[in-house]
This record gives sequence, structure tokens and C-alpha cells, in this order.
Amino acid sequence: MPTPKPIIQVEGLAKEFRRPKRIEGPFGGIRTLFTRQYVSKLAVDGIDFTVDEGELIGYLGPNGAGKSTTIKILTGILQPTQGSVEVAGVVPWKERERNARNIGVVFGQRTQLWWDLPLRDSLELIGKLYGVERDRHRANIERFTELLGLAAFIDTPVRQLSLGQRMRGDLAAAMLPEPRILYLDEPTIGLDVVAKERIRAFIATLNKDEGTTVILTTHDLDDVEKLCRRIVLIDGGKVLYDGSVEKLKARYAPRRRLVVQLAEGARWRGVAMPGVEEAPPEEDAEPGTVALLFDPETAASAEVIAAVLADHQVTDLSIVEPELEGVVHRIYAAREAVA
Amino acid sequence: MADGTTAANPIPRRRAYRLLLGAALRAQLQYRSNTLLTLAGGIAYQGVGLAFVSVLVGRFGAIGGWSLGEIAFLYGLRVTAHGLWMIPTSQLFVLDLTIRTGEFDRYLTRPAGPLMQLLSREVYLATIGDLLTGVAILVAGASQVDLDTSPGALLYLALAVVGGALVEGSLQLAAASLSFRMLSNQSLRLFIDGIMNNFGGYPLKIFPSVTRIVLTFVVPVAFVAYLPANVLLHRTGELALAPWVAWCAPLAGPLLIALAYLVWRTQIRHYQSSGT
Repeated sequence: MPTPKPIIQVEGLAKEFRRPKRIEGPFGGIRTLFTRQYVSKLAVDGIDFTVDEGELIGYLGPNGAGKSTTIKILTGILQPTQGSVEVAGVVPWKERERNARNIGVVFGQRTQLWWDLPLRDSLELIGKLYGVERDRHRANIERFTELLGLAAFIDTPVRQLSLGQRMRGDLAAAMLPEPRILYLDEPTIGLDVVAKERIRAFIATLNKDEGTTVILTTHDLDDVEKLCRRIVLIDGGKVLYDGSVEKLKARYAPRRRLVVQLAEGARWRGVAMPGVEEAPPEEDAEPGTVALLFDPETAASAEVIAAVLADHQVTDLSIVEPELEGVVHRIYAAREAVA
Repeated sequence: MADGTTAANPIPRRRAYRLLLGAALRAQLQYRSNTLLTLAGGIAYQGVGLAFVSVLVGRFGAIGGWSLGEIAFLYGLRVTAHGLWMIPTSQLFVLDLTIRTGEFDRYLTRPAGPLMQLLSREVYLATIGDLLTGVAILVAGASQVDLDTSPGALLYLALAVVGGALVEGSLQLAAASLSFRMLSNQSLRLFIDGIMNNFGGYPLKIFPSVTRIVLTFVVPVAFVAYLPANVLLHRTGELALAPWVAWCAPLAGPLLIALAYLVWRTQIRHYQSSGT
């Protein structure tokens, strides 16, 4: 069987923003209007990646990395300066409306619902605007009402909804036309833990049961860790990393942490093993705890534990995997050190 | 969906427009007292303008040889055209706002034309006040003057109103289109509105010739009401232009609106979205 064509193909994508140069001095504002000098900024600088149908990828990067610009090109909002993009066989900015029928878009910071109308009105309207066949639309509304728990507030005007409720409404609106690709930009921003969990569960269900391809942009790495198998990390308009979450950790934070709780009165004598070193004590560490860092490639967990137990009386042991948060933090920090 | 299809299907543009407009109207009706106030405001605004002219005419008897009835007819023609244009397009005035807040992004991710989505984002009922006042003034003026009421003349009148609406509209559409590059150009649009308001309803012959030329060929205010009014009031003889130009005035509208739409199409390519 031939491999199916990726649903999203991005090649050599670049986007340059040009703004007239601000002229200082007398009549600066008016002269700025007529200037032929421009300041240009390369927001996206040669990005390539592909996404297969049914993938759920995290598209990450610090502020100003070019994330939003890429998403805006993929969704048909912006035209790139260079490069080629195909989304479900469509060049988004050339066939904008056709592309719109293939995708769902949720921007966490803004709503696409009608502010002054009850949520139900917005959902009905979306169905008609997207030309969804009536019975199918009704069934979809019913299904999403149940999945997202919309029943309690579906007849409330959107302006009176809480952020979490509005977000659920927005997700339902985006998914009603059964898009092949769902773009989520900060879908959990500002939400409490329970609301976040609910939204994550919904996204996971869509991806698993409907096979919807999901592109998730977020600063909440918990979202990514819980949902995404693959991440694309960009910075300075370029792809920094593209692969699985595990490999990213292995590359940027290969070491695990072994936390040892010594028995009362026991003294720490150290462990002499190649590839194992003591971590600097953490501020909120309990007295009598010691943390070791080791790379499982060179020192097996079992051996490190055995070495500790051989020399010490221990009440508790735990191995902590590196968290994505810390990994990404280190990548960003390293980048800033270079810049 | 994984099978490569979605539930979405193309729908006719007219239906999309009706759907969006209906939603905007339902939203507007949630604020009933505000709706009534803006409607009253629209009527009062244009009424004050006419009151000012009638005081002038009352004081001097006539302006440039035009009687009160004739001026009312001209003024009414201008306000009717203005109201007719404003009803479907009031939202052009907030294009720059929708760009700055990111609302315009949403128009581009929906399966419908962005201009149509902008125009149907809200219904601004004050514009109905404009139209009602305009028609009232027009009818009142018409009853005072010797107006040709043959079917041909009435048809010309109707075409003149539509043409005038399109002339004003083309200027506003072209000016609004610059928002894609300038972000804020409210002053330009208020300037155009000001010119229309301050000059559109008077017989242009009372102004110096330089002003007349500007108001005919640079900001084509003359085509909105003055030239057609000359035709309908049998005054083409006093124009500096050939009478056939005045007769063809209603054609300027469709021509200019086509050009303005072209400006929109080229300017929207410069859309850069907002920061985030």
C-alpha cells in the first residue's frame, strides 16, 4: 500500500513583514505616511514540516518565534512571502473558502461565537453557514452537547458565559462542520484545572475517535505532555526540533533524578559511580533528602539504587523523569544565552 | 474526518449574507432602548441639517436662484442616497477596528467573503433614520417644485438615488480599504463624510469654480445629487458641463463602485493581521 500523502505539507515557508519606517523629527507622522523606506522583519524563515492525517502535534516556541504567523498562513489568514503550503490538497490563501471548509480554528483569546446571542443560536448558525445537512448537524450538536457538557448553558447569551464555558462552546462550534484539521491556539489559557482537563479530554477523544488532525499551539506544556506524541519546536522563524516528546527529553535533558530520603540520623556518604552526580539541593527540599542525577544510558537505574542502598539507610526512593516544562525552559534559556 | 470528507458544503453567497444579517439583527434587538435611541438620533441628525438650510433660505429667500423647495429636493436626494448606502454598509466604518482587534482574522477562516462578513457584523439602525428623513425631505421638496412625474423621469430619479448611493459608497469603500495598510484612517473617512455632508446638499453653483471642479472631479460629490437634481429640475442650462454629462450622472455610481471594489481587492492582499 502506498503511504498516504501528508495532510499538511509545508516547504521552505517564509514570511516577511514590512512596515513603513517611522521617521522622527518635525512632521514625522506625515512623512512616515509617504516614506518609501521600510523596516522588514522575517517572522518565519524557512520552515519545513509535514503532518499526517490523524496526528496530534504540539507546535511550540517562545513568544515571537513565528508560531502564530505559521498558523495564520496555514489557516488562510496570511499569504507567505515564500514557500509552498498545502493543507488537505488546498493552498490556503489561494482557495481561502475551500480551505475554511476543511478546517476548524479556535483561538483561545477570542471567540468566534456571536457575543449577544445564546450559544445555541451560534451553533445553529455555524451549521447553516457551513452548509451542513440538517439531520447531521442536529446529531452533531447533540453529541457535542453531551461530550462538552453544554446543556447547562446552551441557552445563555455568549457574553454571560464563563471563560471555560465559552471555550467549550467555541470548540463545539469549530468541530460541528466535522473539519479534517483542527487548529487550537492556547485553548486552555486562563482556565482552571478542571476546565483544562475537560478540554484536553475532548481534544484527545476527537483525535482518537474521529481521526481529526490537531495542531496545538500553547505555552502550557502540560497540554502538550498530556496530548501530543510529536512536537515541532520553532524559534527565530526556524524549526529547532521536530520529533517525539521522549526524544526531545532524551536530547535536551537526558538525566533522570533519583531522590533519596535518608533514615533519621543516617549520614550521606556519597555514591562513587561514573555518570552519577549529586544535584544541588533544592530550596524546598525536606531535611535528609538527597537528589542524584544520572543518565540511564550510562548508569542503569537499578545499579544506582543498589549503590545507594549498599551504603545508606533509606526510608524512601523515587525516580523523577524530566518534565517537558524544564526541558523547554532550558532550550529557551540556552537560546537567550547565545543571543 | 479521517475519511477525507467533512460535513461542510458550499452555500450561495446570498444565503450566507442573509444568515449573518439575521444574526446581527437578532443581536441588535437585545438592546431595544439603544436601538430606538440611535434611530431617533439618525432622524434628528439629518433633520438639524435641513433646518439649518431652511433658516438660510428663509433669511435670503433663495440660494443661487434655487428656491427652498428646490433645495429641499436636492438635499433630500443627497440624504436619501446617503441613507440607502449606509443601511447595508455602516460597518465599513469599523474595518480598522476589526483589524486591530483580530476580528478580521475570523472572517478569513470562515467559508464566506470577508467584505460580506464585515458588512453583516452588525446592523446600525440609525441609518434607517437617515433614509426615512431623506425620503421625507425629498417628497416634501418634490411637492413644492415643478417636477416631471412621467414614468421616465421617476425611473431616472430612482436610478439617480441608487447611483448617488454608489458614488458615496465607492469613496467610503476605497478609503476603508486603506485600513489594510494604514491601520487607522478614521480621519480620512470622516473627511469624506464631512465633504458629502457639507457640500452634497447645496447647489454647487454657489461655490467658486475651483471648488466646483474639485467637487465634481476630485471628490465627485456633484454626481451624488447635484447633477441629477439639475436634470430633474430642468436646470441643466446653468451648468458649466454639457447637459449629457448630467444626464449620465447615475452611471458614475456603478463605475466608481467597481473601481472601489478593485481597490479593496488589491489592498486586502496587504493584510498583515495583528500581533498575536
